[in-house]
Amino acid sequence: MQVRFAGIGGQGVVLAGIILGEAAAIEGLNVTQTQDYSSASRGGHSIADVIVSREPIYDLIVTEADVLVALHQLGYDTVKDSLRKDGTLIVDTDLVKPDREYTGAPFTRLAEESTGTSLTVNMVALGYLIARTGIVKRESAIEAIKRRVPKGTEEINIRAFDVGFEEGSG
Amino acid sequence: MRYPFVTGGSDFIQGDEAIARAAIMAGCRFYAGYPITPASEIFEAMALYLPLVDGVSIQMEDEIGSIAAIIGASWAGAKAMTATSGPGFSLMQENLGYAVMTETPIVVVNMQRGGPSTGQPTLPAQGDMMQAIWGTHGDHMLIVLVPSTVQEAFDFTVRAFNLAEKYRTPVVVLGDAEIAHMRERVNIPEPEEIEVVNRKLPRTPEEERMPFGDPDGDGVPPMPIFGRGYRTYVTGLTHDEFGHPKTVDREIHERLIKRIFRKILDNKADIISYHEYELEDAEVAIVATGIVSRSAMRAVKMLRERGLKIGLLKLDTIWPFDFDMMKKLAERVHRIYVPEMNLGQLYHLVKEGAEGLAEVTLIDKIGGEVHTPGEIVERIERGERR
Amino acid sequence: MNFKSAYKIRDRYLRKDMLPTIFCPGCGIGSVLQFTLRAIDDLKLNQDEIVWVSGIGCSSRVPGFVNFDGLHTTHGRALAFATGIKMVNPDLKIIAFMGDGDTAAIGGNHFIHAIRRNLDVTVILINNFTYGMTGGQVAPTTLKGLRGTTAPYGQFENPFDIAELAVAAGANYVARWTVFNYIQGINSIKKALQKEGFTLVEFLSPCPVSFGRRNRMKTAPEILKWYQKITVPINRARKMSQEELEGKVVIGEFVDRDRPGLVRAYMEYVERAKRIAGW
Repeated sequence: MQVRFAGIGGQGVVLAGIILGEAAAIEGLNVTQTQDYSSASRGGHSIADVIVSREPIYDLIVTEADVLVALHQLGYDTVKDSLRKDGTLIVDTDLVKPDREYTGAPFTRLAEESTGTSLTVNMVALGYLIARTGIVKRESAIEAIKRRVPKGTEEINIRAFDVGFEEGSG
Repeated sequence: MRYPFVTGGSDFIQGDEAIARAAIMAGCRFYAGYPITPASEIFEAMALYLPLVDGVSIQMEDEIGSIAAIIGASWAGAKAMTATSGPGFSLMQENLGYAVMTETPIVVVNMQRGGPSTGQPTLPAQGDMMQAIWGTHGDHMLIVLVPSTVQEAFDFTVRAFNLAEKYRTPVVVLGDAEIAHMRERVNIPEPEEIEVVNRKLPRTPEEERMPFGDPDGDGVPPMPIFGRGYRTYVTGLTHDEFGHPKTVDREIHERLIKRIFRKILDNKADIISYHEYELEDAEVAIVATGIVSRSAMRAVKMLRERGLKIGLLKLDTIWPFDFDMMKKLAERVHRIYVPEMNLGQLYHLVKEGAEGLAEVTLIDKIGGEVHTPGEIVERIERGERR
Repeated sequence: MNFKSAYKIRDRYLRKDMLPTIFCPGCGIGSVLQFTLRAIDDLKLNQDEIVWVSGIGCSSRVPGFVNFDGLHTTHGRALAFATGIKMVNPDLKIIAFMGDGDTAAIGGNHFIHAIRRNLDVTVILINNFTYGMTGGQVAPTTLKGLRGTTAPYGQFENPFDIAELAVAAGANYVARWTVFNYIQGINSIKKALQKEGFTLVEFLSPCPVSFGRRNRMKTAPEILKWYQKITVPINRARKMSQEELEGKVVIGEFVDRDRPGLVRAYMEYVERAKRIAGW
């Protein structure tokens, strides 16, 4: 399965990809994760690709995404053509105006409301993605979050994740 | 033996990190390096781990100093490694030749990036293949391994140390910026499960006096390391079996250089490694190495679905090169495609090996993006229509 | 000082099967080598615990003539190789026998960084103001006005003062003598060999064939007489003005201090690392 996260620098797109990858690895799946960004550390596009499979993985980057998670219009515009015709598009409904069928929620707003900061938008989106697709188990994602986020921020990130997960389960 | 990271399980790590862990598990206890994208993380991981296992990690003033230090460290008895990218690899060439000439086991990692010159520091390329083989001056022989996954980055690094020790030679691990920074799930064996090879030490007084002799007939001299009373003299000048400089003796020079060649080439069967996919009934073949072989693998599957009898020969080592195997392949197929992230390097080796028995077509791509499977499929379909 | 017979020194420390040396008649390298061997002998150092390293040049050929472990490396890089040897086996004493071009031109960067790190090594530096082995080109130490094949009308660049460079970079012990000052030379080498950290003993050494001949000093005695004219002992130099010192070379002990060497610093680092990592 090919999952692509797209946003702008500062939204934590790459970390979301790493956590998804870690979760898949915890479950013993094969997983390959790569990233691409412009040189601006804030503001330019940021793309993270995660490929998950039971078989050995030969692909490196997502060429035909099964799922595209877009957190910002700039990120979406940069990579929207890589989503398969029958793929799933998940967006931050406040920040992205897609030109095709989509699902999603106002992730950034939910992040601010539940954790007081928009920095956890990536966790909200990740929770939503996992609830929607079941690509990995919730428990694996929680464990991966604990391993990868800066010490002391586990609780706030898990809270944001669960807000997204709830939203995605509904 | 306790390691400062998880062993006997799997972990989700970058290629650079995998290389560092593999080195430590293979017994590397000396690292000297210089910061350079995209290999700095290898240094940083070694710097984190080595002090904890009583090893030495030191930042030298440049890449020349780095490879010099690891050669010195090897003669003092340690397994030693450095890692760099194109610009640093260019600087290292003189001392790489010194390691060949003095038959010093070392591992040099080059995570290739866009070149030439400063090029594209953060993007992958395969432009240093010929340099890895030919970069240093004079007639020389060394081993070049090319990983294509993070798992291979781990496995081939262990193998690099073992080959370096077994054949008393420098070994180059030729990765790229993609493998350096991508994360994959890697199986990290238990320490007992990893085969570790150590250099031959002198066994007799005569072997102690001959740092460049050939007592076993396999071309590999025992290595009388420093500090054990062997009074070993090591020089980059042409030397005899005792290490004495003999620069104007034609016979001695020829004997020395040819033994160094023989040491590797006579043992090709042990050193060369490759994988064949769906080549049994193939009419067309892809020969690829490194990161691009993954896209080639997917392309083979796609083309088979469309009815083309095609297979892939993935090379794990590009030097020494099995020209005989290439000729045999060229006898069986009518065309060989060589996709690579440069303007033609492996292509020339394949073409030479094919000896005109099959057409060899280059699928080149530069600019920092790995060939997509679709791009390879499209070029091959176009090639086959002609 | 009790001088053992030179034959005894030769028999114990030189590789007979490698003699004769490549050095020209009148060359000072042999003398400096003898000073070094006498220093080792006086100190009764263990021959099996010493490693000689060198770069490229006439001076750098010395390790090939002595009966010790030796690493004859690439031009200018001896100290970088030495860093690896010493850090892996701190019990080994490293003697780096190098020339002025090797050390201060191509090797300049490795030189200053080895000193900055206070690498535990003793550098015996042959300064003959030229690149002798390749036929007499100018070197970074060639005094202004002197001739070399690559500045046939007289060197137009300024020279390095290698000893002062080493002091500024932080060396623990630096001395400079001429091959003429044999007692001081041997004593300095003994001091240097016993000290932790970076120690340097530089010797002005005659090269009649490549250097002297082009500068109207065809023989070693003529060069030595010239050294007597241009050298100034450091105590006297301290009282002289910049103009008075122009064209002169100061000799003596420049610095003698005991900053911790690289091996000690790294061992403390390892302890700190284990503590911080909770290892």
